[in-house]
Amino acid sequence: MDQSISEDELIAVCGRVGKILLTSGAETSRVEGTVEYIGRAAHYDISCHATITALFVGVKNQTKTHLVKVRLGDFNLEKVDEINTMSRKFVTGQIDFDELKRTIEQIDKKVIDFTWPEKVFGAALVSVAPMLLFKATWADLGLAFFVGIFGYLAAALSSPRIKTPYVAAGLGGFTVGFLAAVLQSLGIATNAGNIIVSALMPLVPGVAITNSFREIIDRNTISGVVRAVDALIIAGSIGAGVVLGAGLSGIIFHIIGGGL
Amino acid sequence: MKVLIELIVSFASTVGFGLVTNVPRRSLLPAGITGSLAWVAYYLVLQVDNGLILPNFTAAIVIGILGNISAVMFRVPVNMIYVPSLVSLVPGGILYLGMRSFTLGNEMRTGQYMFNALTIAIALAVGFVVAEVIFYRIKPILLRTLDKQKEN
Repeated sequence: MDQSISEDELIAVCGRVGKILLTSGAETSRVEGTVEYIGRAAHYDISCHATITALFVGVKNQTKTHLVKVRLGDFNLEKVDEINTMSRKFVTGQIDFDELKRTIEQIDKKVIDFTWPEKVFGAALVSVAPMLLFKATWADLGLAFFVGIFGYLAAALSSPRIKTPYVAAGLGGFTVGFLAAVLQSLGIATNAGNIIVSALMPLVPGVAITNSFREIIDRNTISGVVRAVDALIIAGSIGAGVVLGAGLSGIIFHIIGGGL
Repeated sequence: MKVLIELIVSFASTVGFGLVTNVPRRSLLPAGITGSLAWVAYYLVLQVDNGLILPNFTAAIVIGILGNISAVMFRVPVNMIYVPSLVSLVPGGILYLGMRSFTLGNEMRTGQYMFNALTIAIALAVGFVVAEVIFYRIKPILLRTLDKQKEN
């Protein structure tokens, strides 16, 4: 490969790669590794430092450093995979730098996603938790399948529209808590608690907290702690949402019961 | 029979979470298999040892080894397998229960749930580390067999 790639261009592309990777939920060590890999393939000694909130890219022995601000995002693992494939192709020389730049811009803009029905079906499948098999009744698990759909829809539809963080998770919890409590009050469900725990499975940040401990063990302490605190607050807002939802259903049924 | 049901439900769970987190399509099947086998391992160990650490640790080792092997075989980053297969094991439900007790002002139970969630998360994370150490021993053998297959 020739030396025609300018330093600025390379740093800009590397910053973009790192940003997409971080917001799509890759681990910090993978982000740093991928960026430095691309740099080495372009014959520059790039060094990259990634934390979960910011990303620094620079060339060693130079004064220039590029700073990219990042905000915590949701999982979008397909983007991580595409970037990974592209960087591997670039390193082995299958594509040149201009093409890499173009594809990365495309990946950044493109909305790579499963269709809504597929995602909703996925969330419904997750809502039947193996943890509760033979502990909850089969009818309750069947109900959780549908309650989970509504909870996931509430969280997923509200998150692009509401800018305040954590409200979307709270709304999901609210929906699940309300529906489960209503079902129990109507006598359809036997145990609202089991339905709630099961139907919340797509929303709770369990994977995030496990990944945060993996990062801490990997000595990426800052990123790990940020992820863990974020997960804790998401769980807190879900918990508060469920308490509010169940409380609201209690009030409604109290009023109806008093009126009858 | 029970094990079979557990296997099917956890497979569905894993594939479902794969759809939610948007993994590439080619990693859905290996992730599903990894997730369900790890859950069965968890379930079987749970019959012998009724604690939190050993079952989760075993499951994490299963995910770690199978996940790394399928990452090499299907050419996907290993996180694409880890994230969906973890969904039935992770302490998400317990974390929620803990924060709900916190909202309701129940200190004792909050502490208990949070402690359990922490234990599970650390058991899983340490399991991954151990699995990766084991995998680095297996990797050369795996690569050699894959090369042989390509030649044939």
